[in-house]
Amino acid sequence: MLSFIVFLPIIAGLVILAVPASQKQIIRIVSLVAALAQGVLAVLIWRHYDPTMAGIVAAPGGSPVGSFQLIERIPWITLDLGSFGPLRIEYFLGVDGISITMVLLTALISIIGVLSSWPIQKQVKGYFILYNLLSTAMMGCFVALDFFLFYVFWELMLLPMYFLIGIWGGPNREYAAIKFFLYTLFGSVFMLLVMIGLYFSVIDPLTGSHTFSLVAMADQANYIKGTILGPGSEQWRYIAFAVLFVGFAIKVPMFPFHTWLPDAHVEAPTPISVILAGVLLKLGTYGMMRINFPLFPEVFQAGMYVIGVFGAINIIYGAFCALAQQDLKKMVAYSSISHMGYVLLGLAAANSEGMLGALYQMFNHGTITAMLFLLVGVIYDRAHSRQIDKFGGLASYMPVYTGVVIVAWFASLGLPGLSGFISEALVFVGSFREPITRPIAMVSVLGIVFGAAYLLWSLQRMFLGKRKPDALYELEVDGHGHEHIHFHDWKGKLDLDARELTMLVPLGIIVIALGIYPMPVMGLLTTSINKLVQVLAPVAMSAVH
Amino acid sequence: MMHSLIQLSIAVLLLPLLSFVVLIFFNRRLPRMGDFIGLGLVGTAFGCALTIFWQVVVQHYDPAFRLAWDFTWLDFGNVPGVGPLQVKMGIVIDNLTAIMLAMVTLISTLVHLYSTGYMHGDPKYGRFFAYLGIFTFSMIGIVLSDNLFSIYMFWELVGLSSYLLIGFYFYKDSAADAQKKAFLTNRVGDIGMWLGILILYSQYHTFGYQEIYEHIKNGDFHMSQAWLTAAGVLLFMGCVGKSAQFPLHVWLPDAMEGPTPVSALIHAATMVAAGVYFVARIFVLLTPEAQQVIAFVGAFTAFMSATIAITQHDIKRVLAYSTVSQLGYMVLGMGVGSYSAALFHLLTHAFFKACLFLGSGAIIHAMHHEQDMRWMGGLYKKMPWTFVTFSIATLALAGLPLTSGFLSKDAILAGALGFAQVEGGGIYYLVPALGFAAAVMTAFYMGRQVWLVFFGESRTHLKPAEDHGHDAHAAHASHGHDDHGHEDHGHHEVHEVPWNMRFPLVLLATLSVFIVFSPDPLDGGKGWFMHLVQTPATVVASTEAAHEGANLSVPEAGKLLAEAHTDTQHVETAPAAHAEAASTEGEGHGPVYADPRQAEIAHMTHANHWNAIKLSSLMLLAGIGMAFIVYVFRIIDPDKTAQNIRPLYLYSFNKWYWDEIYDATIIKGSMLISKILAWFDANIVDGIVNGVATIFRKFAFFNGGVDKYVVDGMVNFTAFTVQTTGAVLRKIQTGKVQTYLVMVVVAVLGYFAFYIAQLIK
Repeated sequence: MLSFIVFLPIIAGLVILAVPASQKQIIRIVSLVAALAQGVLAVLIWRHYDPTMAGIVAAPGGSPVGSFQLIERIPWITLDLGSFGPLRIEYFLGVDGISITMVLLTALISIIGVLSSWPIQKQVKGYFILYNLLSTAMMGCFVALDFFLFYVFWELMLLPMYFLIGIWGGPNREYAAIKFFLYTLFGSVFMLLVMIGLYFSVIDPLTGSHTFSLVAMADQANYIKGTILGPGSEQWRYIAFAVLFVGFAIKVPMFPFHTWLPDAHVEAPTPISVILAGVLLKLGTYGMMRINFPLFPEVFQAGMYVIGVFGAINIIYGAFCALAQQDLKKMVAYSSISHMGYVLLGLAAANSEGMLGALYQMFNHGTITAMLFLLVGVIYDRAHSRQIDKFGGLASYMPVYTGVVIVAWFASLGLPGLSGFISEALVFVGSFREPITRPIAMVSVLGIVFGAAYLLWSLQRMFLGKRKPDALYELEVDGHGHEHIHFHDWKGKLDLDARELTMLVPLGIIVIALGIYPMPVMGLLTTSINKLVQVLAPVAMSAVH
Repeated sequence: MMHSLIQLSIAVLLLPLLSFVVLIFFNRRLPRMGDFIGLGLVGTAFGCALTIFWQVVVQHYDPAFRLAWDFTWLDFGNVPGVGPLQVKMGIVIDNLTAIMLAMVTLISTLVHLYSTGYMHGDPKYGRFFAYLGIFTFSMIGIVLSDNLFSIYMFWELVGLSSYLLIGFYFYKDSAADAQKKAFLTNRVGDIGMWLGILILYSQYHTFGYQEIYEHIKNGDFHMSQAWLTAAGVLLFMGCVGKSAQFPLHVWLPDAMEGPTPVSALIHAATMVAAGVYFVARIFVLLTPEAQQVIAFVGAFTAFMSATIAITQHDIKRVLAYSTVSQLGYMVLGMGVGSYSAALFHLLTHAFFKACLFLGSGAIIHAMHHEQDMRWMGGLYKKMPWTFVTFSIATLALAGLPLTSGFLSKDAILAGALGFAQVEGGGIYYLVPALGFAAAVMTAFYMGRQVWLVFFGESRTHLKPAEDHGHDAHAAHASHGHDDHGHEDHGHHEVHEVPWNMRFPLVLLATLSVFIVFSPDPLDGGKGWFMHLVQTPATVVASTEAAHEGANLSVPEAGKLLAEAHTDTQHVETAPAAHAEAASTEGEGHGPVYADPRQAEIAHMTHANHWNAIKLSSLMLLAGIGMAFIVYVFRIIDPDKTAQNIRPLYLYSFNKWYWDEIYDATIIKGSMLISKILAWFDANIVDGIVNGVATIFRKFAFFNGGVDKYVVDGMVNFTAFTVQTTGAVLRKIQTGKVQTYLVMVVVAVLGYFAFYIAQLIK
């Protein structure tokens, strides 16, 4: 099942390879079918998932694959390395509460991304092949339980992303693409080193040989004394944790490694921005939850405070930077930085409320930010500009658009009744409950006000008030005295058209529904999160040493 | 099985929401843009609320009535270190809830009815009713909540509703500014409230009021007492935002940008009432220190806004500041421990203030969107219904005996006097002093308003010419005119408003008479409200003395306190009287308080009942007398006086310059910080990134040269060698891709393994 959901897009990519480049519509439909099939599979997985099983780590004395579900595990590459023993890389997939939410999110955002890619005219064939490759890589990252496999998928994401920004992007696309590429590569080089170090430090109790299995690595009992990252090698464990953290933090992106994000967003075409903000950023925090923290719990305990401080910096710094932006897309990009700060803060709390809030925030930020970028795309398509000050009074002329914008904007600023509120609230609840992160939480609440400030201010400047004299559109008065506007070279419908509504309405419904009753998603997470908290707790550590 | 009252209350909650959902999507497809749906659904909600009111208040008539229901909303599972943990949502119905429900839905229904006249012809007529629906829904949610989390959620939803309604005329910049200001100012308060909630949650892992109070009562608050005080003050910050207390009061007068029926809803029944209601809900956990903070904030707000109201020209602005001032009274009442008096004032104020706002709406409507009182006058003949109802409500606001306002205001002021005496006089007398000073000014500015609007000659023609006409009208939009666009402007005959706007006025004016609340026109304590909504016993051990006193019998504790405060004359008789009050439920009303401070305050409040009546009547006469002297007899010329005390006049007219101060400090400061940080981000953080990239590129360029001539030369040489060797080695190649891949991986891993092995050594 998981293999299907991972490789469906790549199969679609192969099919597209066989379709002549002139058959644009067929290419699009093939991609859409693959994405929809992925969505159906995701729903099936969701229905079959048993939320009472924890995952995270193999229970002592229990099944060696832990309580993961939908497991697929076969040897992939097995080699005898002579004195180093056999090299075993496995094709090992499985889901638990942490990954299933991300699988659902990825499937959803992939569908939205295909729909959003519909108007792309430039080299459609190449675009969709790369898009499907990206889709496979993202999904693969979330279900891989073998570190090596994870790393392969992780690197596999880079290539399509680089070209998708570099070819289909805006005017400064090459700079943005190379910046994204180098930054991420920089992080993953370190990840590679740590991965190999871990390999030589861990023995899979089942086979007695070294392993890349993340399930085995998450159990501190499997580390061998005297190895580079085993017990007794604290210094190296600290260094390994730190470089791994930086690798993931770049993806989040965490201050001060965040500057690639605004550039990448501004240059990327709308669907790629949606994918980038909706899914890719979550890989950073997912990697922390899956790999970085549970593999080095004692280092995490020591570093909680620092992570929390960086979370707070992200929240407040991102909000302030967003407040100063003139480009709407850049503002939304900084808002992503701010909102991913909540995830970091929740993780730093390391208790159930905080971690739940963080994971739930990852899901909610995915849906909400997807909406935000889609909405930015809508206005950019029409006006070919995103300068906030060039608009004004749009609410009078595009009421449906304005209505959706209000839902998305208020979801982003954390209005109760919309999903973002619950996750932010839980992050605060969790981080305030821990004495160590309490002062950080007390500072971070400022984000509630400044988050509202930049969103409401942009809302006012673009949609409320009167049409500005130098606005990007012309005013016409019809026979009945009603005012209309038209954008210079926009032939389509002024307000949202059917395709745009097809993308936005389901997202809006999800945002509202999960804001009123979060249990359908939250219920999947709780057992795993509670387990993760246990794994990270100092109690668990004392058993190791 | 759910209790039928709970079912009814859920209906009350959801009907306005249904109205919102139906109207926001379908208003254009419905006849009359669906106003009948809004009115019908909210009216039905009122019917349900009335049934609850009847069953709880009339049939049970029991101060201790309480009914609760909840369900699990979030399930955290088995949380490490805590155990099974859930967040519950629920409803609690007690006397206060029942009364509030009836009040909120009644006023909302009346506002709906009134709006069918007032908003008639507006292009967004249907959407207006949708917004009224969600506003009512959010407020009812606050009233029904049984826990801090859900109250916070509805609290923010009230913020959203007010955002939508204040900015109803969003195409005006002033309205767009006002709606943003209201939301953000409220959010500042909400931060405090949220932190307060977090403090309590971090102790008890629950948001439920009842559980939290049980815990505090049992003394298992593990942080220092200062944190509990902090929690109280922080929670109170939410009220400071919503109920427009100093220093977050600035949004409320600007909120006049919304259509006038909205002002009535905001100022009377929904938003601002929410703050005071919330303080009532958390009343029992407020420490004495927190109460003092609350009392001073309330007193100062009451005084400050009264001074501002005196000089305003805009009819709605005067009322807006009077609302702030009256809310100050309520908050003051909460602070001095007069819980039931404050809530009583909340209720009476809701009716007469709604009447005043709807009345002013009628005037504005009839005057074709003239809001400046300087150009009104002589309306009593043309609008007799409006005049009579407006005047009754004005008298209630000023606190004339026989009105409802007198009963409640007097009770608060008596509490303030009692509080000052119990706290030991001195600075604490400032609280009642400011309260009485505000009472004088209230009587004065309301007298001024009634005179300017209804009496004298019509001054429409005196309005400066440039203020006339449609263009000027738009230019002066900042005064908050309601734009309808359905009528021409200019000179028109002024007519009384139609029945659907008149009926709410009459009903609300009727509800401003004393007999509705108490059989005794001079003592609200004898009425049903004060009987049903009694000040609950605090769960906090108050002071050191009180702490010791908890082990003593109540009279002894009273003596202890009395000894501490012998400098105040009234207290001398306290011990005996107090013992009597405490043991025999003094004169038939008021419960017995175990906490000595609370018992003392309750007693002194009662003892000061007549003092307060005498003083406040005196203040009322003084205020109205001044208004007569200035405006009726014209003994003092207001304009000349204003010239004579010009700095003071300007200080009042410009609202103590709070807007300017905030703009110069907080807003400008935030913008500056954001600009600096954005610059820092673009130039320093990103500059470092780009700088590193440049260094690498330079290095790569140099390296490229080396590469081309040195390395490549070697490579070419090697290639030659390889070619020759390759011819030989070709034999051992298998041609299988897997093998190649494996070799590559092995090579990479081998290299790293070697490297790491070195490191380990």
